[in-house]
Amino acid sequence: MTVAIVLLALLGSAWLLAVIEGWMTTGRLSPAAPLYSGLAHLGRESIVPRSPDRVFFEAAPVLLLVVAVLGMAVLPLAPDLIIADLGTGALFINAALAYVLVAVIMAGWGPDGAYAMIGGWRFLGQLIAYSMLIVMPITAVAMRAESLVNTAIVSSQAGLWNIVYQPLGFVLFFIAAMALAFRAPFDLPTAEGDLGGGVDAEYTGVRLAVLRLARLTLVVTLASATTVFYLGGWHGPLFPPWAWSLVKTLAVAVSMLLVGRYLPRIREADLMRWCWILGIPLALVNIIIVGLLILVVP
Amino acid sequence: MYAQAFFVAVFGLAAIGFGVVVFRTSSMVRSALALLFSQTAVGCMFLAMQTEFLGVLQIMMMATEMSIMAIFMVMFMMDPGGLGGMDMSHQKRFSIGAGVSAAVVAIAVALLSDWGPVAEQVPDAEAQTRALGMELLGRSMMIFETAGITILTAMIAATAVAIPVKNLASKDNKEASE
Repeated sequence: MTVAIVLLALLGSAWLLAVIEGWMTTGRLSPAAPLYSGLAHLGRESIVPRSPDRVFFEAAPVLLLVVAVLGMAVLPLAPDLIIADLGTGALFINAALAYVLVAVIMAGWGPDGAYAMIGGWRFLGQLIAYSMLIVMPITAVAMRAESLVNTAIVSSQAGLWNIVYQPLGFVLFFIAAMALAFRAPFDLPTAEGDLGGGVDAEYTGVRLAVLRLARLTLVVTLASATTVFYLGGWHGPLFPPWAWSLVKTLAVAVSMLLVGRYLPRIREADLMRWCWILGIPLALVNIIIVGLLILVVP
Repeated sequence: MYAQAFFVAVFGLAAIGFGVVVFRTSSMVRSALALLFSQTAVGCMFLAMQTEFLGVLQIMMMATEMSIMAIFMVMFMMDPGGLGGMDMSHQKRFSIGAGVSAAVVAIAVALLSDWGPVAEQVPDAEAQTRALGMELLGRSMMIFETAGITILTAMIAATAVAIPVKNLASKDNKEASE
Protein backbone atom coordinates (compact mmCIF):
# COMPACT_ATOMS: atom_id res chain seq x y z
CA MET A 1 0.00 0.00 0.00
CA THR A 2 2.79 2.44 1.00
CA VAL A 3 4.61 1.65 -2.25
CA ALA A 4 1.48 2.47 -4.28
CA ILE A 5 0.87 5.75 -2.40
CA VAL A 6 4.47 6.94 -2.76
CA LEU A 7 4.58 6.01 -6.47
CA LEU A 8 1.27 7.81 -7.05
CA ALA A 9 2.55 10.89 -5.19
CA LEU A 10 5.72 10.78 -7.32
CA LEU A 11 3.80 10.45 -10.59
CA GLY A 12 1.28 13.13 -9.56
CA SER A 13 4.07 15.53 -8.61
CA ALA A 14 5.86 14.88 -11.92
CA TRP A 15 2.61 15.60 -13.78
CA LEU A 16 2.02 18.82 -11.83
CA LEU A 17 5.58 19.87 -12.50
CA ALA A 18 5.14 19.25 -16.23
CA VAL A 19 1.96 21.39 -16.18
CA ILE A 20 3.76 24.23 -14.38
CA GLU A 21 6.76 23.94 -16.72
CA GLY A 22 4.40 24.21 -19.70
CA TRP A 23 2.69 27.19 -18.09
CA MET A 24 6.02 28.97 -17.60
CA THR A 25 7.21 28.37 -21.17
CA THR A 26 3.99 28.81 -23.17
CA GLY A 27 1.96 31.06 -20.82
CA ARG A 28 -1.02 28.67 -21.03
CA LEU A 29 -2.15 26.61 -18.04
CA SER A 30 -3.19 23.30 -19.56
CA PRO A 31 -3.56 20.37 -17.10
CA ALA A 32 -4.03 17.86 -19.93
CA ALA A 33 -0.94 18.96 -21.88
CA PRO A 34 1.47 16.37 -20.35
CA LEU A 35 -1.05 13.63 -21.18
CA TYR A 36 -1.37 14.77 -24.81
CA SER A 37 2.38 15.15 -25.06
CA GLY A 38 2.92 11.64 -23.65
CA LEU A 39 0.34 10.13 -26.02
CA ALA A 40 1.94 11.97 -28.94
CA HIS A 41 5.33 10.48 -28.03
CA LEU A 42 3.78 6.99 -27.84
CA GLY A 43 2.22 7.48 -31.25
CA ARG A 44 5.46 8.55 -32.94
CA GLU A 45 7.98 6.21 -34.47
CA SER A 46 10.76 5.37 -32.02
CA ILE A 47 13.77 5.51 -34.30
CA VAL A 48 16.92 3.50 -33.59
CA PRO A 49 20.01 5.31 -34.94
CA ARG A 50 22.54 3.64 -37.19
CA SER A 51 24.97 1.21 -35.44
CA PRO A 52 24.01 2.01 -31.85
CA ASP A 53 25.24 0.33 -28.72
CA ARG A 54 21.82 -1.23 -28.41
CA VAL A 55 22.06 -2.35 -24.77
CA PHE A 56 23.04 1.13 -23.55
CA PHE A 57 20.57 2.87 -25.87
CA GLU A 58 17.63 0.86 -24.58
CA ALA A 59 18.69 0.65 -20.93
CA ALA A 60 19.61 4.32 -20.31
CA PRO A 61 16.08 5.88 -20.08
CA VAL A 62 14.84 2.97 -17.94
CA LEU A 63 17.89 3.12 -15.64
CA LEU A 64 17.38 6.89 -15.16
CA LEU A 65 13.74 6.32 -14.18
CA VAL A 66 14.63 3.42 -11.87
CA VAL A 67 17.30 5.38 -9.96
CA ALA A 68 14.96 8.37 -9.52
CA VAL A 69 12.27 6.07 -8.07
CA LEU A 70 14.84 4.22 -5.90
CA GLY A 71 15.99 7.56 -4.47
CA MET A 72 12.39 8.41 -3.58
CA ALA A 73 11.95 5.01 -1.89
CA VAL A 74 14.10 6.06 1.09
CA LEU A 75 12.55 9.54 1.54
CA PRO A 76 9.68 9.83 4.03
CA LEU A 77 6.46 11.68 3.13
CA ALA A 78 5.16 11.16 6.69
CA PRO A 79 6.50 9.26 9.75
CA ASP A 80 4.97 6.00 8.50
CA LEU A 81 4.78 6.83 4.81
CA ILE A 82 8.14 5.61 3.52
CA ILE A 83 8.88 2.60 1.34
CA ALA A 84 12.15 1.64 3.05
CA ASP A 85 13.39 3.43 6.17
CA LEU A 86 16.97 2.22 5.79
CA GLY A 87 19.60 2.51 8.50
CA THR A 88 21.79 4.18 5.88
CA GLY A 89 19.06 6.19 4.10
CA ALA A 90 21.07 9.41 3.68
CA LEU A 91 23.90 7.40 2.10
CA PHE A 92 21.59 5.26 0.01
CA ILE A 93 20.14 8.28 -1.78
CA ASN A 94 23.69 9.23 -2.83
CA ALA A 95 24.24 5.69 -4.07
CA ALA A 96 21.03 5.70 -6.09
CA LEU A 97 21.67 9.14 -7.58
CA ALA A 98 25.27 8.21 -8.51
CA TYR A 99 23.68 6.01 -11.20
CA VAL A 100 22.16 9.11 -12.84
CA LEU A 101 25.69 9.61 -14.16
CA VAL A 102 25.85 6.04 -15.44
CA ALA A 103 22.47 6.42 -17.17
CA VAL A 104 23.47 9.72 -18.82
CA ILE A 105 26.80 8.28 -20.01
CA MET A 106 24.93 5.27 -21.43
CA ALA A 107 22.40 7.58 -23.12
CA GLY A 108 25.31 9.57 -24.56
CA TRP A 109 27.38 6.63 -25.78
CA GLY A 110 24.50 4.39 -26.88
CA PRO A 111 23.08 6.13 -29.97
CA ASP A 112 26.45 6.59 -31.78
CA GLY A 113 25.85 10.32 -32.23
CA ALA A 114 28.46 13.04 -31.75
CA TYR A 115 26.24 15.51 -29.89
CA ALA A 116 24.83 12.84 -27.61
CA MET A 117 28.29 11.53 -26.79
CA ILE A 118 29.65 14.99 -25.96
CA GLY A 119 26.58 15.55 -23.76
CA GLY A 120 27.14 12.25 -21.92
CA TRP A 121 30.81 12.89 -21.18
CA ARG A 122 30.04 16.49 -20.26
CA PHE A 123 27.86 15.18 -17.46
CA LEU A 124 30.87 13.29 -16.11
CA GLY A 125 32.70 16.64 -15.84
CA GLN A 126 29.60 18.11 -14.25
CA LEU A 127 29.63 15.30 -11.66
CA ILE A 128 33.24 16.14 -10.73
CA ALA A 129 31.95 19.65 -10.03
CA TYR A 130 28.74 18.99 -8.10
CA SER A 131 29.22 15.63 -6.36
CA MET A 132 31.14 16.94 -3.34
CA LEU A 133 28.47 19.61 -2.88
CA ILE A 134 25.83 16.88 -2.59
CA VAL A 135 27.77 14.70 -0.16
CA MET A 136 29.31 17.33 2.15
CA PRO A 137 26.09 19.22 3.02
CA ILE A 138 24.37 15.85 3.69
CA THR A 139 27.27 15.04 6.06
CA ALA A 140 26.45 18.18 8.08
CA VAL A 141 22.74 17.24 8.10
CA ALA A 142 23.58 13.74 9.37
CA MET A 143 25.89 15.28 12.00
CA ARG A 144 23.01 17.23 13.51
CA ALA A 145 20.65 14.24 13.44
CA GLU A 146 23.46 11.92 14.67
CA SER A 147 21.99 9.39 12.26
CA LEU A 148 21.85 8.41 8.59
CA VAL A 149 18.20 7.37 8.96
CA ASN A 150 16.06 9.82 6.99
CA THR A 151 13.11 9.77 9.42
CA ALA A 152 15.57 10.60 12.24
CA ILE A 153 16.93 13.48 10.11
CA VAL A 154 13.40 14.91 9.78
CA SER A 155 12.73 14.39 13.52
CA SER A 156 15.94 16.28 14.36
CA GLN A 157 14.38 19.38 12.71
CA ALA A 158 11.22 19.40 14.87
CA GLY A 159 12.35 22.53 16.74
CA LEU A 160 14.34 24.31 14.04
CA TRP A 161 14.55 23.46 10.34
CA ASN A 162 17.97 22.89 8.85
CA ILE A 163 17.46 25.74 6.37
CA VAL A 164 17.78 28.06 9.41
CA TYR A 165 20.31 25.93 11.31
CA GLN A 166 22.66 25.50 8.33
CA PRO A 167 21.59 27.91 5.55
CA LEU A 168 24.96 27.64 3.82
CA GLY A 169 24.50 23.89 3.45
CA PHE A 170 21.02 24.44 2.02
CA VAL A 171 22.23 26.85 -0.66
CA LEU A 172 25.07 24.52 -1.69
CA PHE A 173 22.81 21.45 -1.74
CA PHE A 174 20.11 23.27 -3.73
CA ILE A 175 22.60 24.35 -6.40
CA ALA A 176 24.21 20.89 -6.53
CA ALA A 177 20.79 19.20 -6.74
CA MET A 178 19.94 21.35 -9.77
CA ALA A 179 23.25 20.33 -11.35
CA LEU A 180 22.52 16.67 -10.60
CA ALA A 181 19.08 16.96 -12.21
CA PHE A 182 20.78 18.73 -15.16
CA ARG A 183 18.18 21.48 -15.19
CA ALA A 184 18.94 24.95 -16.54
CA PRO A 185 21.33 26.69 -15.93
CA PHE A 186 23.22 23.40 -15.50
CA ASP A 187 21.67 21.59 -18.48
CA LEU A 188 25.04 21.05 -20.15
CA PRO A 189 24.38 17.42 -21.22
CA THR A 190 21.21 18.40 -23.08
CA ALA A 191 22.16 21.97 -24.02
CA GLU A 192 19.74 22.97 -26.77
CA GLY A 193 21.87 25.90 -27.90
CA ASP A 194 25.20 24.24 -28.51
CA LEU A 195 24.47 20.48 -28.58
CA GLY A 196 21.04 20.42 -30.21
CA GLY A 197 19.56 18.36 -27.38
CA GLY A 198 22.73 16.42 -26.43
CA VAL A 199 21.79 13.13 -24.79
CA ASP A 200 18.13 13.73 -25.73
CA ALA A 201 18.97 14.34 -29.38
CA GLU A 202 18.82 10.79 -30.72
CA TYR A 203 15.82 9.62 -28.69
CA THR A 204 12.33 9.68 -30.16
CA GLY A 205 8.91 8.19 -29.50
CA VAL A 206 8.36 6.03 -26.43
CA ARG A 207 12.04 6.07 -25.46
CA LEU A 208 12.01 9.89 -25.34
CA ALA A 209 8.79 9.77 -23.30
CA VAL A 210 10.48 7.54 -20.70
CA LEU A 211 13.55 9.82 -20.69
CA ARG A 212 11.41 12.94 -20.13
CA LEU A 213 9.38 11.23 -17.38
CA ALA A 214 12.62 10.10 -15.74
CA ARG A 215 14.02 13.64 -15.75
CA LEU A 216 10.86 15.07 -14.18
CA THR A 217 10.84 12.27 -11.59
CA LEU A 218 14.46 13.04 -10.81
CA VAL A 219 13.58 16.70 -10.11
CA VAL A 220 10.76 15.59 -7.77
CA THR A 221 13.08 13.14 -5.96
CA LEU A 222 15.73 15.83 -5.47
CA ALA A 223 13.12 18.35 -4.31
CA SER A 224 11.84 15.75 -1.84
CA ALA A 225 15.42 15.16 -0.64
CA THR A 226 15.84 18.93 -0.12
CA THR A 227 12.58 18.93 1.87
CA VAL A 228 13.71 16.01 4.04
CA PHE A 229 17.21 17.35 4.65
CA TYR A 230 16.51 21.09 5.05
CA LEU A 231 12.81 22.01 5.20
CA GLY A 232 11.71 19.90 8.15
CA GLY A 233 10.10 17.16 6.03
CA TRP A 234 6.57 16.50 7.22
CA HIS A 235 6.66 19.08 10.08
CA GLY A 236 4.09 21.90 9.89
CA PRO A 237 0.91 23.09 11.60
CA LEU A 238 -2.76 22.27 10.81
CA PHE A 239 -2.40 20.08 7.72
CA PRO A 240 -1.55 16.34 7.84
CA PRO A 241 2.17 15.44 7.57
CA TRP A 242 2.00 14.04 4.01
CA ALA A 243 0.38 17.28 2.79
CA TRP A 244 3.26 19.34 4.17
CA SER A 245 5.80 17.03 2.54
CA LEU A 246 4.07 17.34 -0.85
CA VAL A 247 3.62 21.12 -0.65
CA LYS A 248 7.25 21.68 0.31
CA THR A 249 8.51 19.26 -2.34
CA LEU A 250 6.50 20.99 -5.06
CA ALA A 251 7.60 24.43 -3.84
CA VAL A 252 11.27 23.38 -4.07
CA ALA A 253 10.75 21.77 -7.50
CA VAL A 254 9.01 24.87 -8.86
CA SER A 255 11.72 27.13 -7.42
CA MET A 256 14.29 24.99 -9.28
CA LEU A 257 12.39 25.55 -12.54
CA LEU A 258 12.06 29.28 -11.82
CA VAL A 259 15.74 29.75 -11.02
CA GLY A 260 16.63 27.91 -14.21
CA ARG A 261 14.32 30.05 -16.28
CA TYR A 262 15.98 33.34 -15.39
CA LEU A 263 19.65 32.34 -15.46
CA PRO A 264 21.86 31.78 -18.51
CA ARG A 265 23.49 28.38 -19.01
CA ILE A 266 26.83 28.18 -17.23
CA ARG A 267 29.98 26.99 -19.03
CA GLU A 268 31.35 23.65 -17.80
CA ALA A 269 34.81 25.06 -17.01
CA ASP A 270 33.24 27.89 -15.00
CA LEU A 271 30.99 25.44 -13.14
CA MET A 272 34.01 23.30 -12.24
CA ARG A 273 36.06 26.33 -11.15
CA TRP A 274 33.33 27.82 -8.95
CA CYS A 275 32.39 24.48 -7.39
CA TRP A 276 35.97 23.63 -6.44
CA ILE A 277 37.37 27.06 -5.58
CA LEU A 278 34.31 28.39 -3.76
CA GLY A 279 31.81 25.56 -3.22
CA ILE A 280 33.99 22.94 -1.51
CA PRO A 281 35.66 25.37 0.95
CA LEU A 282 32.20 26.73 1.80
CA ALA A 283 30.92 23.17 2.34
CA LEU A 284 33.86 22.56 4.71
CA VAL A 285 33.06 25.82 6.54
CA ASN A 286 29.45 24.62 6.83
CA ILE A 287 30.59 21.34 8.40
CA ILE A 288 32.83 23.23 10.86
CA ILE A 289 30.02 25.67 11.81
CA VAL A 290 27.52 22.84 12.32
CA GLY A 291 30.11 20.89 14.35
CA LEU A 292 30.72 23.93 16.57
CA LEU A 293 26.97 24.53 16.97
CA ILE A 294 26.44 20.90 17.98
CA LEU A 295 29.24 21.15 20.56
CA VAL A 296 28.43 24.62 21.89
CA VAL A 297 24.63 24.92 21.73
CA PRO A 298 22.92 22.39 24.00
CA MET B 1 18.57 -18.18 5.76
CA TYR B 2 17.89 -20.06 2.51
CA ALA B 3 16.55 -16.91 0.84
CA GLN B 4 19.70 -15.08 1.93
CA ALA B 5 21.94 -17.82 0.55
CA PHE B 6 19.93 -17.78 -2.69
CA PHE B 7 20.35 -14.03 -3.20
CA VAL B 8 24.04 -14.14 -2.30
CA ALA B 9 24.46 -16.86 -4.93
CA VAL B 10 22.42 -14.97 -7.56
CA PHE B 11 24.38 -11.73 -7.09
CA GLY B 12 27.62 -13.70 -6.96
CA LEU B 13 26.85 -15.32 -10.30
CA ALA B 14 25.84 -11.90 -11.70
CA ALA B 15 29.19 -10.49 -10.55
CA ILE B 16 31.04 -13.31 -12.33
CA GLY B 17 28.83 -12.94 -15.43
CA PHE B 18 29.51 -9.22 -15.75
CA GLY B 19 33.18 -9.93 -15.01
CA VAL B 20 33.27 -12.26 -18.02
CA VAL B 21 31.60 -9.56 -20.18
CA VAL B 22 34.47 -7.19 -19.29
CA PHE B 23 36.84 -9.40 -21.30
CA ARG B 24 34.40 -10.55 -23.97
CA THR B 25 33.63 -7.10 -25.38
CA SER B 26 35.84 -4.89 -27.53
CA SER B 27 34.06 -1.66 -26.57
CA MET B 28 35.92 0.15 -23.82
CA VAL B 29 32.76 1.77 -22.46
CA ARG B 30 30.91 -1.56 -22.37
CA SER B 31 33.91 -3.11 -20.68
CA ALA B 32 34.10 -0.37 -18.01
CA LEU B 33 30.35 -0.42 -17.33
CA ALA B 34 30.31 -4.24 -17.21
CA LEU B 35 32.99 -3.98 -14.54
CA LEU B 36 30.80 -1.41 -12.78
CA PHE B 37 27.80 -3.72 -12.77
CA SER B 38 30.01 -6.60 -11.59
CA GLN B 39 31.07 -4.44 -8.63
CA THR B 40 27.46 -3.36 -8.08
CA ALA B 41 26.51 -7.04 -7.86
CA VAL B 42 29.24 -7.47 -5.21
CA GLY B 43 27.62 -4.53 -3.35
CA CYS B 44 24.27 -6.33 -3.59
CA MET B 45 25.96 -9.43 -2.10
CA PHE B 46 26.94 -7.27 0.88
CA LEU B 47 23.31 -6.14 1.17
CA ALA B 48 22.09 -9.75 1.02
CA MET B 49 24.56 -10.56 3.80
CA GLN B 50 23.01 -7.76 5.92
CA THR B 51 26.05 -5.49 5.88
CA GLU B 52 24.04 -2.52 4.70
CA PHE B 53 26.59 0.28 5.07
CA LEU B 54 29.34 -1.58 3.20
CA GLY B 55 26.91 -2.62 0.48
CA VAL B 56 25.52 0.87 -0.12
CA LEU B 57 29.03 2.35 0.01
CA GLN B 58 30.32 -0.16 -2.55
CA ILE B 59 27.38 0.52 -4.88
CA MET B 60 27.86 4.29 -4.57
CA MET B 61 31.65 4.46 -4.96
CA MET B 62 31.84 2.17 -7.97
CA ALA B 63 29.38 4.22 -10.08
CA THR B 64 31.67 7.24 -10.11
CA GLU B 65 34.97 5.38 -10.20
CA MET B 66 34.12 3.10 -13.10
CA SER B 67 32.58 5.96 -15.10
CA ILE B 68 35.80 7.95 -14.72
CA MET B 69 37.76 4.85 -15.72
CA ALA B 70 35.54 4.57 -18.81
CA ILE B 71 36.50 8.04 -20.06
CA PHE B 72 40.20 7.34 -19.50
CA MET B 73 39.87 4.11 -21.47
CA VAL B 74 38.11 6.01 -24.28
CA MET B 75 40.86 8.65 -24.26
CA PHE B 76 43.84 6.33 -24.28
CA MET B 77 42.80 3.18 -26.13
CA MET B 78 43.18 3.09 -29.90
CA ASP B 79 39.78 1.56 -30.69
CA PRO B 80 37.50 2.68 -27.86
CA GLY B 81 34.26 1.78 -29.61
CA GLY B 82 35.48 -1.70 -30.54
CA LEU B 83 34.20 -1.19 -34.08
CA GLY B 84 37.61 -1.29 -35.75
CA GLY B 85 38.00 -5.03 -35.21
CA MET B 86 41.28 -4.62 -33.34
CA ASP B 87 42.39 -7.47 -31.11
CA MET B 88 43.58 -5.81 -27.94
CA SER B 89 44.25 -9.01 -25.99
CA HIS B 90 47.70 -10.49 -25.46
CA GLN B 91 49.49 -13.25 -23.50
CA LYS B 92 46.32 -15.34 -23.78
CA ARG B 93 47.75 -18.67 -22.61
CA PHE B 94 49.46 -17.14 -19.61
CA SER B 95 46.29 -15.19 -18.70
CA ILE B 96 44.06 -18.25 -18.94
CA GLY B 97 46.52 -20.26 -16.84
CA ALA B 98 46.77 -17.52 -14.22
CA GLY B 99 42.99 -17.08 -14.14
CA VAL B 100 42.28 -20.80 -13.73
CA SER B 101 44.95 -21.20 -11.02
CA ALA B 102 43.62 -18.17 -9.11
CA ALA B 103 40.06 -19.55 -9.34
CA VAL B 104 41.20 -22.98 -8.09
CA VAL B 105 43.06 -21.38 -5.16
CA ALA B 106 40.03 -19.16 -4.31
CA ILE B 107 37.63 -22.13 -4.41
CA ALA B 108 40.04 -24.23 -2.32
CA VAL B 109 40.28 -21.46 0.29
CA ALA B 110 36.48 -21.13 0.33
CA LEU B 111 35.94 -24.86 0.75
CA LEU B 112 38.81 -25.80 3.05
CA SER B 113 38.78 -22.85 5.47
CA ASP B 114 37.22 -23.18 8.87
CA TRP B 115 34.77 -20.29 8.75
CA GLY B 116 33.57 -20.82 12.35
CA PRO B 117 29.94 -20.90 13.46
CA VAL B 118 27.39 -19.10 11.27
CA ALA B 119 26.11 -15.94 12.99
CA GLU B 120 22.41 -16.33 13.75
CA GLN B 121 21.89 -12.74 14.85
CA VAL B 122 23.50 -9.59 13.44
CA PRO B 123 23.14 -6.04 14.79
CA ASP B 124 20.71 -3.86 12.82
CA ALA B 125 21.99 -1.48 10.16
CA GLU B 126 22.07 1.55 12.47
CA ALA B 127 24.10 -0.28 15.12
CA GLN B 128 26.47 -1.56 12.43
CA THR B 129 27.00 1.94 11.04
CA ARG B 130 27.70 3.26 14.54
CA ALA B 131 30.12 0.42 15.29
CA LEU B 132 31.93 1.02 12.00
CA GLY B 133 32.16 4.76 12.75
CA MET B 134 33.60 4.09 16.21
CA GLU B 135 36.12 1.69 14.66
CA LEU B 136 37.17 4.13 11.92
CA LEU B 137 37.58 7.05 14.32
CA GLY B 138 38.88 4.97 17.23
CA ARG B 139 41.30 2.07 17.09
CA SER B 140 41.83 2.18 13.30
CA MET B 141 41.99 5.96 12.93
CA MET B 142 45.74 6.17 12.29
CA ILE B 143 45.59 3.51 9.55
CA PHE B 144 42.74 5.15 7.68
CA GLU B 145 44.01 8.70 8.14
CA THR B 146 47.46 7.64 6.91
CA ALA B 147 45.91 5.96 3.87
CA GLY B 148 43.73 9.03 3.21
CA ILE B 149 46.65 11.49 3.49
CA THR B 150 48.80 9.24 1.27
CA ILE B 151 46.15 9.16 -1.46
CA LEU B 152 45.66 12.94 -1.20
CA THR B 153 49.42 13.48 -1.42
CA ALA B 154 49.60 11.26 -4.50
CA MET B 155 46.78 13.21 -6.14
CA ILE B 156 48.40 16.58 -5.43
CA ALA B 157 51.79 15.24 -6.56
CA ALA B 158 50.32 13.88 -9.80
CA THR B 159 48.69 17.25 -10.52
CA ALA B 160 51.89 19.10 -9.63
CA VAL B 161 53.93 16.85 -11.93
CA ALA B 162 51.46 17.48 -14.74
CA ILE B 163 51.42 21.28 -14.48
CA PRO B 164 55.15 22.29 -14.51
CA VAL B 165 55.70 20.49 -17.82
CA LYS B 166 53.23 22.86 -19.42
CA ASN B 167 54.74 25.87 -17.66
CA LEU B 168 58.29 24.90 -18.54
CA ALA B 169 57.34 24.49 -22.18
CA SER B 170 55.73 27.92 -22.25
CA LYS B 171 58.77 29.37 -20.42
CA ASP B 172 61.13 27.80 -22.96
CA ASN B 173 59.03 29.17 -25.79
CA LYS B 174 59.08 32.59 -24.21
CA GLU B 175 62.85 32.48 -23.80
CA ALA B 176 63.27 31.25 -27.34
CA SER B 177 61.11 34.03 -28.70
CA GLU B 178 63.13 36.57 -26.71
